[in-house]
Amino acid sequence: MSKAKAQQPAVIHKVIMVGSGGVGKSALTLQFMYDEFVEDYEPTKADSYRKKVVLDGEEVQIDILDTAGQEDYAAIRDNYFRSGEGFLCVFSITEQESFQATAEFREQILRVKNDDNIPFLLVGNKADLEDKRQVTQDEAHQRALSWNVAYVETSAKTRANVDKVFYDLMREIRSRKMRASQQNNGQKKKKKTNKRKCVIL
Amino acid sequence: MMADQRLARDLTDQGFDAENYVSKLSEEGEMPLLEMKQKVHILSEKTALELKKNVYKNYSQFIETAREISILEGEMYQVSHMLTEQKTLMNTMLEMSLVSDKAIVEEIPKEKEVENPEEETRRNLAFLLEKVEGCSSVTEVPGRQLIHNGDLAELDLETFVQVHRVHMFLLNDSLMIATWLPNRRGPVRYRFQGLYELDNLAIVNIRDAGPVKNAFKVLMFPDSKIYQADSAKSKRQWLDILEDTKKKKLARDKQKRESVVRLNEQQVTPTQNVEESSNPFDERAEEISSDIAMDTEYLNVDWLQELPEDLDMCIAQRDFVGAVDLVERVNEYLKECQKTPAVKEFRARIDHRIKLLTEGLMSELQVSPERSLRGGPRAARRAVAQLIRLGRSAQACELFLKNRSAIIIYNNRQLKFEGATSLYIRCLCGVFFTSLSETGREFHKAFPEHFGCFSAFIVWTKTEMESFISIFKRHVFDSKSNLPTIAECVSIASKHCDELAAGGLDVGFYLDATISENLERVIIEERDNIIEGIKYRSQDDLWRPMNHGTETECLKFAEELASVGLDVKDSIYNVCFISLTINTAQFCKACIVMAQSLLLIHKIEREALITDTLVQIFKAQVKHLESSVKNEKFKTDLKFILKNSQYILEVLMAKIEQMYKLQNVIFPHQLVTVNGEYRRLKSIVANMAK
Repeated sequence: MSKAKAQQPAVIHKVIMVGSGGVGKSALTLQFMYDEFVEDYEPTKADSYRKKVVLDGEEVQIDILDTAGQEDYAAIRDNYFRSGEGFLCVFSITEQESFQATAEFREQILRVKNDDNIPFLLVGNKADLEDKRQVTQDEAHQRALSWNVAYVETSAKTRANVDKVFYDLMREIRSRKMRASQQNNGQKKKKKTNKRKCVIL
Repeated sequence: MMADQRLARDLTDQGFDAENYVSKLSEEGEMPLLEMKQKVHILSEKTALELKKNVYKNYSQFIETAREISILEGEMYQVSHMLTEQKTLMNTMLEMSLVSDKAIVEEIPKEKEVENPEEETRRNLAFLLEKVEGCSSVTEVPGRQLIHNGDLAELDLETFVQVHRVHMFLLNDSLMIATWLPNRRGPVRYRFQGLYELDNLAIVNIRDAGPVKNAFKVLMFPDSKIYQADSAKSKRQWLDILEDTKKKKLARDKQKRESVVRLNEQQVTPTQNVEESSNPFDERAEEISSDIAMDTEYLNVDWLQELPEDLDMCIAQRDFVGAVDLVERVNEYLKECQKTPAVKEFRARIDHRIKLLTEGLMSELQVSPERSLRGGPRAARRAVAQLIRLGRSAQACELFLKNRSAIIIYNNRQLKFEGATSLYIRCLCGVFFTSLSETGREFHKAFPEHFGCFSAFIVWTKTEMESFISIFKRHVFDSKSNLPTIAECVSIASKHCDELAAGGLDVGFYLDATISENLERVIIEERDNIIEGIKYRSQDDLWRPMNHGTETECLKFAEELASVGLDVKDSIYNVCFISLTINTAQFCKACIVMAQSLLLIHKIEREALITDTLVQIFKAQVKHLESSVKNEKFKTDLKFILKNSQYILEVLMAKIEQMYKLQNVIFPHQLVTVNGEYRRLKSIVANMAK
């Protein structure tokens, strides 16, 4: 702990929250970070968080980039997406439009990352507001299936599935990284395997 | 009422006699008096009331006037404000029109509009240049300004450990990062690291990253960086300003795009009308895309890429000709090019250097006390030629002439005023008119085909003439020189003017017009002096031949007269006698000198005055001769008087006629008539003998 290196776990998983404005990206993030629910809505510009978590017995860092749903500059959104390793694509089950928008986000992410298998979770938030539901589980599942990704319904208010989406995504990211390092035979891989020896074994 | 008015009129009548009035009233007893008293009382009361009313009326009028005045004052203020506005407008227009004679400078007025409000920020950018190493390309974009800057620490993306200190400069269209130089030298404190377009920049606020506080992330593809501010407040400021600037730029770009679209539409519509069959939109799009492809290629030529630096070098080495050659080459090259952003950007870089070059050239022509003027016109011509090539002929012309003025002033100062006025004037004229004609010649060489500039030269010549004439007048007229000197000076100047006129520059008329008044006054004064002298001498003229005592004295006197052109040798008799009076000799001498001076400054416009002057002088002398002839006292001297008369009216007159002839001036008939006076005198004498 006294050394600078030991202070920060070496592995960082970079998660990006995407989705239309007001669907609860920030609420999910804050609930995950601080176990608290923020009721009053304030549009996010672009906030980043970092937290130490234990993922399947391994200490890692999660870096969350909470993007602005209202960002109207496509070029800048591209820049955000480039920096991410995994995406939580959030919509509100009480808002059909936000669900429709997920298709655009998905498309943009795939274009930017140029990778069909990028770690990605479709997240239907505000599951506590069942009476106001506009998006059926069925259509959401169908869309997830067609994208070959998982669909999870969450509630930032009740904390239902909040940890699950982040951890699920991190696992995906981790397995992607491992596959990538196995494919690579460069020095980089050796270094990384050294660091993560216990995990691999 | 009527009675009242009458009473008032009676009382105010001019001829009102109070005593008389009262006595008249009292004659009729007590009743009318009492009645009268009552009336007067009523009248006085009415008057008081009226007075009050009038005072009130005056007062309200006064208030009204005051109000009017204050309104007027406000209006005057407005007018003066408008005038100042007009003046600044005129000035800016003047500045624009000064750079009007070539196509290269077409863009300059537009640029100026952008520039002026940003002068200060521009200086900010200049300061940037000094502080940051390797950022010269950043400051070359016109309209770029500094919005915010500050020290930050760059952190490692993963570990958040400080990498190095940086200074961030937020410009209105981009973000510049400069790293801190650990061992700084001079004013340079940072090294340029990168310039990022705001468009592609994503700023992320790091809300919470464990122990690291006040940090934010900047995503600039392909890399991203984390910067740490020293306080929460400073970070907030950075984020807000970044956001704000981005928004502003977005709005600006949108506006620009819209105006471009509109422009394109405008351009497209007419073509549509002409060739309805084809679809102009498709063509247009193709054209534009091919244009863009073309000009990136276009700009990618080696020499063009190196041109800005080459220009810098030429300017630094004062190789102005080389620099202008380069400028002309690039202008020629870019002329065929479309005005796409890339070309415009490049253009701006070049324009910046052209400005520097122009300044350099101008300072070359600038007159400063510490610079020697001995570089002469040839050095100036070189700078002028380059400036003309850059399309700045108006400025070049102005500076060139200023330079010449300084040379003239300098040369004039070198002249020392010593000894005779005419000597000094001769030198002054020599210097002045030589520079004038030299300037004219140089001007011809320096500004060939630039006829617009010649009017400037004429105006300049006039101002220079003015100052020359003021010096001339001071030395010639104000110093109370005598007529011969003045005439000589004037003739020197006139001769120089004539020489200039032969070269095509006529300034003689101006010289003549400005000094003729003084000159005429001097002539008239001199004439009056001579006539006065004639009158004075005639009083005690005893009509005796001159006796010089010895032959040598006599010959000396004859020699003296001969020096002014009078031959008296024939009149010498008895070794030392001259058969002329001293009065005659003096008159002749004065007359010859006068005629000489007058002929020296002879001009058609002055002909009448000159003739009249000579005629009057002669007449005064003839009058003396005539009265002497008629005088009983000189009865015995008649023959002698006639001899003198003959000398004056025939020999002297013939001499003057000869002088006229020498000057190529027609001998005026008035003087011929004077010549006839001798015959008249002779006939008078003949009549008397009878």
